[in-house]
Amino acid sequence: MAQALAVETHGLTKRYSTGVLAVDDLDLRVRTGEVYGFLGPNGAGKTTTLRLLSGLIHPTSGSAIVAGAVPGSPASLARLGAMVETPAFYPYLSGRDNLRVVARYAGVPKSRIEPVLKLVDLTDRAKHKFKTYSTGMKQRLGVAAALLKGPDLLILDEPTSGLDPQGTIEMRALIKELKQGGRTVLLSSHLLNEVELTCDRVGVIAKGKLVAEGTVDELRARSGGRTLRIHAAPLEQAQRLLESLLNPDQVRVLDGSLVLNVDPAQAASINRRLVADGVDVSELRVDEQSLENVFLELTEAPSQPTAASGGGDRSAEVEGNT
Amino acid sequence: MIASFRAETLKARKRWANWLLFGILLMTLLLFGYVLSYVIFKNPPRNFQSPVPASVLIRRDFPENLLPTVLSSMSTIGAAIMIILGSLSTASEYGWLTVQTILIQKPGRVAVLVGKLLNLGLITLITSVVALGLAALTSYLLVSIDGSSSAWPSVTELLKGFGALWLQLAVWTAFGMFLGIAFRSTAAAIGGGLTYLFVGEALIAGLLRDTPGVKEILKFLPGVNGEAVNASFRLSFRNPNAATQLVDANRGSITLVIYLALFTILALLIFRRRDVTGG
Repeated sequence: MAQALAVETHGLTKRYSTGVLAVDDLDLRVRTGEVYGFLGPNGAGKTTTLRLLSGLIHPTSGSAIVAGAVPGSPASLARLGAMVETPAFYPYLSGRDNLRVVARYAGVPKSRIEPVLKLVDLTDRAKHKFKTYSTGMKQRLGVAAALLKGPDLLILDEPTSGLDPQGTIEMRALIKELKQGGRTVLLSSHLLNEVELTCDRVGVIAKGKLVAEGTVDELRARSGGRTLRIHAAPLEQAQRLLESLLNPDQVRVLDGSLVLNVDPAQAASINRRLVADGVDVSELRVDEQSLENVFLELTEAPSQPTAASGGGDRSAEVEGNT
Repeated sequence: MIASFRAETLKARKRWANWLLFGILLMTLLLFGYVLSYVIFKNPPRNFQSPVPASVLIRRDFPENLLPTVLSSMSTIGAAIMIILGSLSTASEYGWLTVQTILIQKPGRVAVLVGKLLNLGLITLITSVVALGLAALTSYLLVSIDGSSSAWPSVTELLKGFGALWLQLAVWTAFGMFLGIAFRSTAAAIGGGLTYLFVGEALIAGLLRDTPGVKEILKFLPGVNGEAVNASFRLSFRNPNAATQLVDANRGSITLVIYLALFTILALLIFRRRDVTGG
């Protein structure tokens, strides 16, 4: 049975007056109740897409349905909470007064303010002016404002941007908590491991187009999934033998090791054949394809130096706002 | 719309800059419009030269001249302060990017801006009432100190004067609000607005008032039309130095109403349609 969609776009396109094509024929589907991660390199059109979905900018062509209505319409906004790009508030007002202003615009009773302040752990600083807040506190106030309406759909643009490690962990926990009760969360992030840890599904955008969509495991599988890494000597002999046993395309040499695109269940039989052929096998292990590698492949970004040969630093920053 | 209006009143009330502008306006009115002129006319310097004696001119500070004095005092400083107020109310939203925080809430764009307009209308209303009230109190105190007698304007005149003041303050506020939305920059909106007021209206209209051709153009400027409305509230004595008006008061009032509508509609059109992008 088809799942209900919280966000659905058809051929959504945005060309700015400068001629820049920021979003190009985008078809996006975010299912109700899921946490959807939106990834893309710098300039990919990620923030522009979130602005289109929030009704802040108008599409050049195409259409979108957000929370059951046209983006920017009162019907859509009534069910949408969003923090796009940076948390923007009145510097001369306290955190609590800023939420009072937002609550008045949204037509929400002020009794909602204290619970959301508590949820984002800002109650103690709520009386202080926004201009005195740290980046993390501003982010949390942004999330609090987005939650005031008790929205069915939450759009968060880089919610952990500028947060320290503790703040990042707390924000991730909050996002998971927000998912409870059937709420849909659409978030963009520049941290790949954040997407891995918090998102049910991921969409990768490059040059304004959606280049891949699926669960993290599906994306890994699409890009080779798990591989078998073998450290053997002599290397050339082992390579010849394996290329004769397998498809040559499945065998490559990387950093003095052999990397095989095969089902890891074949590890034992491959080991036996190598040893039987007089090859010394000093290491044989299963490598997970990192989401970062998948991301770089999908977006055709140049390879970055990685901390580990088999994968990379999954928390590496790979994108910024567009 | 009401939700947006309530949010705007909260923001305006808590904004220190608004209170500062309000204070400057009232202080300028009372100090330069009344106290200083009273002191000068009461004790005129030896080289004081005027076709009207100081002993007559002093009567501009008394209740009988409440309306012409308030209106002429407010015509420039009031316009300047209201341009700043209107510009701040919209341009700051772009500067702080709070415009996107607002637009992500429930009201549509038109409702958001109409709420802002209503709030600015309320502020100009309160400013007009307080300015007239304080001026009346000051003129009463001055005439009492002077030991003279003076009659108050009729209620009808007071209402007409109040309407003229409110209309002019509203036009300049709408002008500032429109500039704030058009430029999306506080500095550009205030700079552009004040340059127009002091160069376009005060300087050019003052110097080229009788130049053929230019005179016809001047008849369409809001400041010139406001001046014509103000001149219809006459002083209790004749002042030979008073400038002749380019248009009559009725045309002036109608032109001001058209300007108010024009600035409002232009602001709405731009605000409703234009993309809200990042800083």
